[in-house]
This record gives sequence, C-alpha cells and structure tokens, in this order.
Amino acid sequence: MNDSTPPKTNNALRTLLIIVVITIVLAIYSYGWTVTDINLDKPQEAQRQQNLGEALRDLLSPNIFQQDYTFQAATLPFVMTCPAEGAPAAVSAPADAAPYILISATCGVANDVVTVQGFNFHPETFARIEWIPDGGEARVRQPIGRGEDNFFTDALGRFEVQIEVPQIRGSSGQTHIIQARVAVPAGLPHFSNTTGVVLEKMVETIFLALIATTLSILPSAILSFFAAHNLMKPIRMTLGNLLVSFALLPVGWLLGSALLSPIGTFALNLGQGTLFGAGSTALALGFAMVAAVRKPRVVETTGWEARLRSVLLAVLVAIIVTAVVGLLGGLGLSGDMFFHNLGSTLRPQTAEGPAVAANFGQWLVYALGDVLTSFGNMIGTLGQLLQLLMLPIAGVIGAVTLSSIGTTLTLDALKHVDRVTSHMLGGTLGAICGAILLGITASIGMQAAWLGLLTPLVAAGLGGGVFSLAYQRLTGSKQRKIPGESTSQRLSSWVGIALVFLATFVLLNVERAVVEGVLPTQTELLNLFGMPIYFYVAEAMLIGAVLGGVAGALAGTRAAFPFGDMLYTTTRTILNGLRSIEPLIMGLVFVIWVGIGPFAGVLALTLHSIASLGKLYSEQIESIDSGPIEALQSTGANQLQTIMYAVVPQIIPPYIAFTMYRWDINVRMSTIIGFVGGGGVGFLLQQQINLLRYREAGVAVLAIAIVVSILDYASASIRQRYI
Amino acid sequence: MLIIENLTKIYDNGFKALDNISLEIPDGQFVAIIGLSGSGKSTLLRCINRLIDPTEGRIIWNDIDITAATDDELRQIRRRIGMIFQQFNLVKRSSVITNVLSGRLGYVNPVFSLFNYFPGKEKERALAALDRVGIREKAYNRASALSGGQQQRVGIARTLMQEPELMLADEPVASLDPATSHSVMKYLQLLNEEDGLTILCSLHFLSLARAYSHRVIALKDGKLEFDGPAQAIDDERFKMIYGEEAVQVEIH
Repeated sequence: MNDSTPPKTNNALRTLLIIVVITIVLAIYSYGWTVTDINLDKPQEAQRQQNLGEALRDLLSPNIFQQDYTFQAATLPFVMTCPAEGAPAAVSAPADAAPYILISATCGVANDVVTVQGFNFHPETFARIEWIPDGGEARVRQPIGRGEDNFFTDALGRFEVQIEVPQIRGSSGQTHIIQARVAVPAGLPHFSNTTGVVLEKMVETIFLALIATTLSILPSAILSFFAAHNLMKPIRMTLGNLLVSFALLPVGWLLGSALLSPIGTFALNLGQGTLFGAGSTALALGFAMVAAVRKPRVVETTGWEARLRSVLLAVLVAIIVTAVVGLLGGLGLSGDMFFHNLGSTLRPQTAEGPAVAANFGQWLVYALGDVLTSFGNMIGTLGQLLQLLMLPIAGVIGAVTLSSIGTTLTLDALKHVDRVTSHMLGGTLGAICGAILLGITASIGMQAAWLGLLTPLVAAGLGGGVFSLAYQRLTGSKQRKIPGESTSQRLSSWVGIALVFLATFVLLNVERAVVEGVLPTQTELLNLFGMPIYFYVAEAMLIGAVLGGVAGALAGTRAAFPFGDMLYTTTRTILNGLRSIEPLIMGLVFVIWVGIGPFAGVLALTLHSIASLGKLYSEQIESIDSGPIEALQSTGANQLQTIMYAVVPQIIPPYIAFTMYRWDINVRMSTIIGFVGGGGVGFLLQQQINLLRYREAGVAVLAIAIVVSILDYASASIRQRYI
Repeated sequence: MLIIENLTKIYDNGFKALDNISLEIPDGQFVAIIGLSGSGKSTLLRCINRLIDPTEGRIIWNDIDITAATDDELRQIRRRIGMIFQQFNLVKRSSVITNVLSGRLGYVNPVFSLFNYFPGKEKERALAALDRVGIREKAYNRASALSGGQQQRVGIARTLMQEPELMLADEPVASLDPATSHSVMKYLQLLNEEDGLTILCSLHFLSLARAYSHRVIALKDGKLEFDGPAQAIDDERFKMIYGEEAVQVEIH
C-alpha cells in the first residue's frame, strides 16, 4: 500500500459517502420541519396578532397592586321615543359643587347619539356611562369612537362623551336613566388579593420542593451505593450461598410477618400507651442493644459455638430493630396527641377558629403553639406510616435475618462439598429459587396485562444462563468462569434467551394479555392457608423450577456468581426506568391516589428525585479515589467500615452539591406540577390561564421567575463552596 | 515465616502477572522487590494480603494458609499485615488522626466505629504512632494539607495502629523526591530494626534496595529472575532484570 497516493476509488467512495450522509441529514431535518408544523402563515393572521398583543400586554401588567374605589354617580332621566307633546325640559347646571351631568337630548329613539357632559367629578380618574332601563339592570354604554368602556375625567373633573341610545324592545314611552359613574380612589394602593393568593401558593411550592428533596435524600443515597459499579463489581458470591439466601427469603418473610410483627405491634402499643411504658421499653431496648453490640472477649470465628452465637445475635438484632421501629411508631402516634394538646393550649380555639394575637408577645406564643401542633401532626403521620407498614417491615427484617443466618450456617459446608454433590445441590436449590423467582414475577404479571411480559423476560435471562452453561460444558472451556465471555458462548446465550422467551411467551399465553389487554385467568389450583395459588402462577413456577434446576445443576454450588454486577444492573435499570417517567406523569397517577393537592406533587417529585439523585450520587461514588478503599481493606476493616471511612468522606461534598441542585430543579418542577393537580402555584396559574385572566397569571409567572432565579443563584453559590 | 508456593495470577483479561513464584521469607527480614513496571511487583504484594485473589498457589504465613481463609479469617490476618502505597491512599478530606485511627478499625467495636467513636486509649495510640513518625503536631490537619513525604509517614502511622508483624510497601517512595525518599525508607528501616517487622518493599531504584534491604527479589514478566543479596547484582544481572538498554541510576 502506498500511503502518499491513496487509491482513487477510496476517494470516490468517501465523496459518495459524504453525499449520502448529507442527503440523509437533509431528509431527517426536512421531515422534522414538516412534523413539527413550522409555518409562518398562522402567526401573520391579524386576529392572532391582536390576541397575542392583548395576552402579552396583560401578562406584562400583572395586577400585583390594587386600588380600592368609591364611586360618584350622577343621573338624568331619558324618555324613550320623544312624546308628541314635545321633549321634556333639559335640566340645567345646579348651583352647588356636587357632581352633575348634562345631556344633549332628553328623549330619543334607539341609535340616536346623545352627548353626555360631566362636571365637578373627581379629576383624572376613570368613569363610565351606564344605561338603566325602566326596572332593569344597569348596562354599560361604550362611548362612541373609543375602544373600551372606561374613559377619563380631565384635570378639572369634567368629561364629554357621546353614546348611542340602546335598542331595547318594548321600551317606547318608558323613562330610562342615564348614569355616570366615576371612580374615586379610596386609600393608598395595596397588594391585590391575587398577590396574596400567589404568595401563599408560592410558599406551598417551595415547601413542596423542600419536602420532596429531603424525602428523596436517604433512599437515593442508599440506592446510589448499589448503582455504583466500582463498589458492586468486586462483590461475588458462590452460587450455592446465593441460592440458599434467596430460597430462604420468602420463608423469612413469612416467619417475620408471623413472629416479629406481633413484637413490633406490642412495642408500638407500649410506645403509644403511656410515658412509663414508652420509657421502660426504650430502656429495655437500650440494654438489649448494648448487650448485642458489646464486643465479645474471645474472638472466635469458627466452630459451632461461634455460629450459634452469631445466629442468636442475628435473631436478637432482628427483634431489637423491629421493636425500635414499633416503639418509634408508637411514640409518633402518642406524640401527635401530646403536641397537639400542647399547641392548642398555647393557641386556644375560639368559636371563629384559632385565636388571633393581640400583641407581639402573644403572637410569639401563638406561633410556638402552631409550630408544636404542626410538629405533632408530622410525627403522628410518620408514626401512622410505621403502624401501617409494620407487617411488611417485619417481613423484610425476617427475610434478611433468616437469609443471612442461612448463609452463615451453610458457608463452610458448601465450600467443602464434592463435585457431584455440588451439582446435585445446585440443581435442587436452583429449582427452588427458579420457582420462587418466576412465581413472584407471575404474581406481578397477574396485576396488569403488560406486566405479564416480566415472566418471559426473567425466564429468558435464566434460559440464557442455561444455554451458556451448557455450551461451556459441551465445549469443555472451563477457563472462563463468568458466563457470556467468548463470542460463541455469548451467541449461545442469546439463542437461549430467544428460545426460552418464545417458549414461555407461548406456554403462558402472554400473547392474549399483550394483544387484548386481558389479565391471565384466575383459575385457582389450590389454596394454601388462605393464600390462593393460581394455575398461571403454578405454571410459571414449574418453568422456573426447570430452568433454575438445570442452570443450578450445570453450574454447581461452587460457581462464582457476580452478585454485585446483578445488583448494579438491577438498580440501574430501575433508576433509569423511573427517571424516564416525567414527574408530571407521576403526578397524574398520584392525584388519582391521594387526591388533588400538594401531597400528590410531593410524592411525584420525591419518586423522580430518588431516581435522578440516585444516578447522580452513584456517579460521584464511581469517580472517587479507590486508593483509600484498598488501604482500609488491607487494615482488616470490614465492608461497612470501609465504606464509612474511605467512601463517605469523599462523597459528602458532591452529595450536598447535588442535593442543592436537585432542590433547585424541584422548585422549578413544583411550579408546574400543579398543572396536573399536584398543588403549588401551578394549579393557580393553570386556572387563571384557562379563564384568560392573564393579568393574574402574570403575577404567578413573575413570582415563579423571582423565586427560581433566587434559588438558582443560592444553589449555585452553595454548590461552588462544596465542589 | 512467610512461605509462598507456586503462586500464579492470571487476570480476567488473560494477562499472566505472576508465573509460578515460590519464596520463603524468614521473620525480621527486609526484602526489596525490584523489576520493571508490569513485572508483577504490585500483584505479588497484593496477593499476600489478598487484595488480589491468586489464581493458583498457596501463601502460608505463621502456619496459616492465607489463600484458604474465609472473609472473617482474612480480616483477622490482615490486621497483622500493614500496607503502604505509592499514592499514600489517605482520605484527603479527613484529618490526619482520623486517617491514622482508621488503621485500628479491625480491632475496635465495629458498631461504635461506624459513628466515628474511638476509645481514648486508641486516640493516644494514634498520637503515639504519629509521634514515632515525627508529625504529631499535624494530627488535626487535613491530610491534603501535608506534603508527600508527610503523607507517606501518616500512611506508616496508620499501619502502626495495626500492630503489624509484616509490612507490605508498594513502591512507597516512587512519588517522592530523593531526599524525602530516604527519610521514608529510614522509617521503614527503623521499624525493621526496632520492632523486628518483616518488610517487603517494592522499589524502582536498585540503589535504594542496596542501601536498605537484606535481600533482593527481582521479578521479570511475572517470573522470579533473581533472589539474593543486593551486592550480588552485577551489571550482567542488572541487564537481565531491567533489559539490555537499561542504565543504572543512582539515587542519593
């Protein structure tokens, strides 16, 4: 190959390629132009331009301030259709200084032009002419030659306008009244009612964002550790341990909800009951906790005695945690009453509602009372939450405890099993876990038609594993222990994924669910202690058992399983999925659940913030210096200590910065979450826009702009300090 | 006594970092490990405390098979093996004393340590360790405020908290200037002579190995190329270890 003179064909090809690319790009943009309906005809229509002008003028004249008026009025009679005997005599100017009007005609028919002159009115303020039919409602007459009803008095309080006599059916012969109404400013201009409402809603908006951001910090911080590749990748488990702990999860759940939840409920009742009960429970828990965390004198890590001790410790910790949760719930519930009573003692209720403060000292006391009441309300709701969630919390604690006990007990035993046993055990455990896994997905799949796709997808994952492992067995390539490494192995795993997906799809009749949107038939196969097992679920469990059994038998219990990778991928997938749903859409759903109002907005923004912050946080973890982690591991620190001492100090500053950033974003979002009923200033703004009250809408827009830019500046300067 | 038997490490990407290494290191020896970048020095050191899991082979230390230890046992073993690093691996935002105290995490109550609580005698121990490396007055400074040599001394103080019997030093002076290098190496020598610590120290410069070590181990492409006293490395040996084009550079 001669580099100095490249072949001509190459050049020609490159030119052709460039032309093709340019053509494609042009095609994409022209299509985009058409799809987005960009055209300049509509904006040129006179009506639209006028509407735009009016809307913009109103938006830019927000009625922040308001002037109250009293009205001066002066009237004169007007006879409809001049009588045969001649027009009534015109009234002449009175001698005193009271406002009066003169009219050019005292009688006439419809469409006659009458000149109205006014004198002695308030100078330079607006006025209007009203026509009051005999026994009818006053109606405004627009002066001829002016665009609007209002006109202004001059510096001497005079005016002269011409109006037309209105057409009023059957009014001939009646005497109507012509009235001039002139507005007289009363007092100084003050903030309008709109401003008051907007400010109130703005406070709601800011707090909505604050609460949503705060609630999202803890869950997203926890999730971020699972979504950080550098922390998760090294975590590996042998398949045997993983299967044992997974198989024990549902058992632990049942045990936890059956045995632990009564303990939690008991602690809750104690906490809620009396101060004595709460105090003694807390004391007992304190002692138990000290006993549990006290360092044993002799550190022994092997032998049955040590194992028994660690099992007892795990059970003790589970009981303590459940009891603490219950106690906190009970304290919340009783605290609600306590603080509510305290608050209403400080600020008594009167017949017209809460007492109004007479002086500053009293105001302070009342404010304290309000704060106490709100505090009671807050902890009461939190206590109620714990009370409602007691059963699932106990279940989760039970599941985690039993599965960790199982791991501790079987860790050594699984390490020393021989090859054949390892594969047999793998098959058995794999079948159990596969059945549990697909049983869960199938139960989820019974809730909504498209969730039915979950079972074939998870089964396909298992199938991929089976095929890849089978390929490994057949070719005898044992060098690579992680499935899916070489190209042909990856290919075999994709074949497995496709085949098993199709097979499960057909077997479970998911097609009907996807096409018709019909849920699987709820044919009960058997009833287990009041818990129905449906035919559909049983079928899925059978598929899972087969796939899991084969995969487990092929891999054996000693195979390394990239557990951390799995956690990472699962967390990331969930976070990405959640993040792709806009808070406005989440708001729509939450409004259905908790009703229109800021609570729905809080839930929507919290959920979205968890996903978004979880990703931002985890990226910060991924970019930390890994040196300290290595150093801490080498000192013999455990994983939790390593995270606390090597990871946490490095991520606190960026976490603060990103939390501020998220609050900033949440304030912006909360200003529009109201458009779907999520509370805050957006709800108000939407109403005003729908009613075409652009001047009122202008106040809301202005308030949003001010608050957002202040927060933007504040969050930027705080972030700067921490990065 | 540290015994390494047929140690082999093949990374996931297929790179063979260590190839059938066997060694016996008696207690109290100062061993320098030399070799080009990528010759397996760091991998060897990290296999000993299992920051890296070896593919094959065994490591036996004081009659305990480190390679077969469970996670709990491994933590117990690691407590007695100190390690310092080329990049010091301190938490730069934390104070010096927190960095030093973190070397004690394997000993203290794990629950209390999560809330950054250390008993008073542990704090005294940390200050004493800092005193030994001559930077007690910097205890409450941020680690990032210290110079490179001082940071490496904090690293040494951290390992002192472990009351180690074995010290692994992974190119401890490669990021330091010559004068500071000598000061850090002198502290290692001190620990070797006063406390009787076994020291395994990977180095770039043969001159440092000559000045401080009892024994030199040279690695080349993951294989053991030389094992003997530093004085036995002549020009021919030197070229075998470092390649034909290498020239000896002295560090004073």
